[in-house]
Amino acid sequence: MEDRKQITFNVLCFNPEVDEKAYFKSYDVVLEKGITVLRALNYIKDHVDQTLTHRFFCQAGICGSCAIRINGVSKLACTTQVWDELETCKTKDQIIVEPLNNFKVIRDLVVDIDPMIAKLKKYKSWVVPMVKDEDLGKKECDVKPEEFEPINAATDCILCASCYSECTITEADRHYISPLVILRAYRMNMDTRDTAGEERTRLLQEDHGIWDCTHCYRCVEACVKNIPIMEAIQGVRHETFERGMTNTAGARHAKIFLDDVKGGGRLKEATLPLRTLGPIGMIGMIPFALKMGAKGRVPPIFPHKVSTHREVKTLVEQVEKESKKKD
Amino acid sequence: MTYDIVIVGAGGGGMYAALEAIRRNPALKIAVISKVYPTRSHTSAAQGGVNAALANKHKDDTIDLHIFDTIKGSDYLGDQDSITYLCEQAPILIRELENLGAPFSRLEDGSIAQRPFGGASRHRCCYCADKTGHTVLQTLFEQCMRYGIQFFNEYYLLSIEENDGKCQGVIALNLRDSKIHKFEANSVILATGGYAKMYWHKSSNAAGLTGDGGAAALRAGIPLKDMEFVQFHPTGLRKSGLLVTEGARGEGGYLINNKGERFMSKYAPEKMELGPRDLVSRSIEIEIREGLGFESTAGQFIKLDLTHLGAELIMQRLPQIRELCIYFEGVDPILEPIPVRPTAHYSMGGIDVNTSCETNIEGIYAVGEGACVSVHGANRLGGNSLLDILVFGKRAGMEVVERASKSGQPKISDSQVEDQQKYIDGLFGKTHHERYDVIREELGTTLGENAGIYRTKDALTKGVADVYELRERFKKVKVADHSRLFNTNLMQVMELGSMLDLALCVAKGALAREESRGSHSRIDFPTRDDKNWHKHSIFKMTAEGDIAVSDKPVTMGKHELQERTY
Ligand SMILES: Cc1cc2nc3c(=O)[nH]c(=O)nc-3n(C[C@H](O)[C@H](O)[C@H](O)COP(=O)(O)OP(=O)(O)OC[C@H]3O[C@@H](n4cnc5c(N)ncnc54)[C@H](O)[C@@H]3O)c2cc1C
Ligand code: SF4
Ligand code: SF4
Ligand code: FES
Repeated sequence: MEDRKQITFNVLCFNPEVDEKAYFKSYDVVLEKGITVLRALNYIKDHVDQTLTHRFFCQAGICGSCAIRINGVSKLACTTQVWDELETCKTKDQIIVEPLNNFKVIRDLVVDIDPMIAKLKKYKSWVVPMVKDEDLGKKECDVKPEEFEPINAATDCILCASCYSECTITEADRHYISPLVILRAYRMNMDTRDTAGEERTRLLQEDHGIWDCTHCYRCVEACVKNIPIMEAIQGVRHETFERGMTNTAGARHAKIFLDDVKGGGRLKEATLPLRTLGPIGMIGMIPFALKMGAKGRVPPIFPHKVSTHREVKTLVEQVEKESKKKD
Repeated sequence: MTYDIVIVGAGGGGMYAALEAIRRNPALKIAVISKVYPTRSHTSAAQGGVNAALANKHKDDTIDLHIFDTIKGSDYLGDQDSITYLCEQAPILIRELENLGAPFSRLEDGSIAQRPFGGASRHRCCYCADKTGHTVLQTLFEQCMRYGIQFFNEYYLLSIEENDGKCQGVIALNLRDSKIHKFEANSVILATGGYAKMYWHKSSNAAGLTGDGGAAALRAGIPLKDMEFVQFHPTGLRKSGLLVTEGARGEGGYLINNKGERFMSKYAPEKMELGPRDLVSRSIEIEIREGLGFESTAGQFIKLDLTHLGAELIMQRLPQIRELCIYFEGVDPILEPIPVRPTAHYSMGGIDVNTSCETNIEGIYAVGEGACVSVHGANRLGGNSLLDILVFGKRAGMEVVERASKSGQPKISDSQVEDQQKYIDGLFGKTHHERYDVIREELGTTLGENAGIYRTKDALTKGVADVYELRERFKKVKVADHSRLFNTNLMQVMELGSMLDLALCVAKGALAREESRGSHSRIDFPTRDDKNWHKHSIFKMTAEGDIAVSDKPVTMGKHELQERTY
């Protein structure tokens, strides 16, 4: 009764012990509808090729182990239905499976995520509690539901690294903070029980930090938990202003950004670096720009006006009004 | 390398122990070894919540009520000294965790929200939406990073080493390069999680909940306890065995048979869907056996209906459950009832320890689902196991700090390391031909059929014989992947070895125990028999590698034996 079909999995394999470079191995398997990509990979490992190497644990979309690229997009293998992927195959019924981007491959689909953990540490991704050590456990902190709300979505993050793999800037600059670490920082900064906001924000606005993000939205699109990561990015940026940390290239950039948005509804990105860094600073950007250009990610020189320009403009004005009120 | 403390396992239990130890003495050298990255441990899967008599919601809740509910839930097999400690510490622990940043859901007045949960007489379960375990685990990992705890991620425990009844440390394999490392230490805490994955496809557990810690303990001469008690969760998804949390029933979900009846009225007229797990699982099993289930190619099932709760409530309070149903079952609970059936879920048994988390070997401790303190006895109450790992994780942390100051130099000899190397090399045997996946599948099937929810002498006798036979075949199991890099084939085979040893304990214990108590239901012995069986089962490995079963008294307290009705 159930649909069955032969499907080819083209898996990018690499065992540095023996292979000079990565290559695609093809596995033809007959599967029935309703099966996830992880189950398919496990089937291949158990029945076809015991050397196929991938990570998984919970098989329930909560541990974050099984993120890989499926037909070019980073996502969890255990929550992805094979039949859904058939719709995006370049060649009919051939699914391409690759390891996450922006990490070193250990073997086949397994990548080294230690640099991600190192960044979590670098940016102090933890609450530094306002309760003194000797008073821990004595009484609850008072957190109103509306104070909890802003961190609710951010605490969904399972550290699967899909967003890290998709991030354009992480690809160009391995030291870049990365979207999930910004999300963590935001989650901690918004927590009314935390006391390290000032220190964390100072770290965030340094080089390789929040001002390097280009709003490409790829992390938002990739997030397996649909977390609005951009809100976090905007949120921590806003916080740098609130804390008076305005003397970075990024903060100046943001001011120009505001002017731009008000003027055209969309950023004149191609000329933006010049205005932020000045002609001399621009020279430092050249290698970066070349890298971006090579990857086809240079913004168009004459951006279109976005259709919702009016809304954007009102929004910006609203934000400005609000922040003036605060001063 | 030599450490003051080595902790094996980075779930909630292991990380709480690490945190407590480092906070008490920042100078201590602590290593945490885990076969997966800490935040991937199975604690993340706990959706429902964690119990503590905070009395935020029901002002008349007390620690005594929590104690009584737990003893009753355990079917009087829990040790009352441990249960008392568990429930007394609960409010302190939850507040501590909250103070450290755990994002608990809140009541309007800003205090931690609490909801009803199976087997509890008050609204006592603290939660963070339906991601409680995940957020608790993240919080602990964050705090461990804050305190600079040293993690050895993707290291697999091979053996626990002792000399003269004193702990010397552990030996582990680095998965990245298959190199064997010794971690010498006077104190070792085993926090390796449960063993219910041995039921394989009929299990809600992560792939790695194979009881490695228990198996290594057996080999080191440490006994296990109450292994026959495996809890089946009433509502696993029909196809994958994945769990639809009790939260779904807590929020008002109905269990429906093929006549459209809320059949729990027959079995637990007062509590209905919120009766304790074992009772609900058995009720579903009876309905199915009596032909009141629904048929499908993936087997018989009953329905969990949430549709009357409305889209808004489901989206707000049970978003992960909804996702789970859509991803894994193709069913949106807002629109239609969820097909469910019981699934192996929690292991009450584990490494035999006392209230101080001590094993029979000086310096070796165990906590969490892999240990048996015992606070859950014959049946764990929902929300008490997260509590167990936190309370006793902290307790073990306290104990090892005490110990660290007064013990000598640990030593693991080269020959001990070589033994492990030989074991690994042996697994690559050239003439081996048995398939690990076949053995694993057969193990799950025989356990499900013969040592599952309903048990009989005949079935269990067959189950024990099957496990013996599978253990024989395992000696010729083939590891086809010979690479040294991240060899998951090797790891899966080692995990299968652990499951087989522990499965023998489960089946033998179930065969021996001629009564029904908590999760252990014998059709041929349908009632509880306090005269002969009010005692813990103890499992030891013999020199030949067989399992010997004996027993040990239960620690009682102020609560006398009573019949357990709901
Ligand atoms: C689906 C589901 C839902 C649940 N819901 C709830 C709930 O709502 N409330 C509740 O109280 N409880 C719940 N539980 C139970 C609870 O989550 C677990 O009992 C608890 O989290 C176990 O924690 P732990 O620290 O003992 O082990 P785990 O979190 O499982 O961690 C075990 C650790 O040991 C390590 N390890 C294991 N073997 C080895 C080895 N050979 N070498 C090295 N490291 C090893 C692993 O890497 C891991 O880090 C649920 C369980 C499941 C499966
Ligand atoms: S929006 Fe920023 S953080 Fe997100 S992927 Fe793009 S550059 Fe990276
Ligand atoms: S932000 Fe989303 S995609 Fe990124 S690690 Fe977290 S859950 Fe994964
Ligand atoms: S296996 Fe845990 S998220 Fe996929």
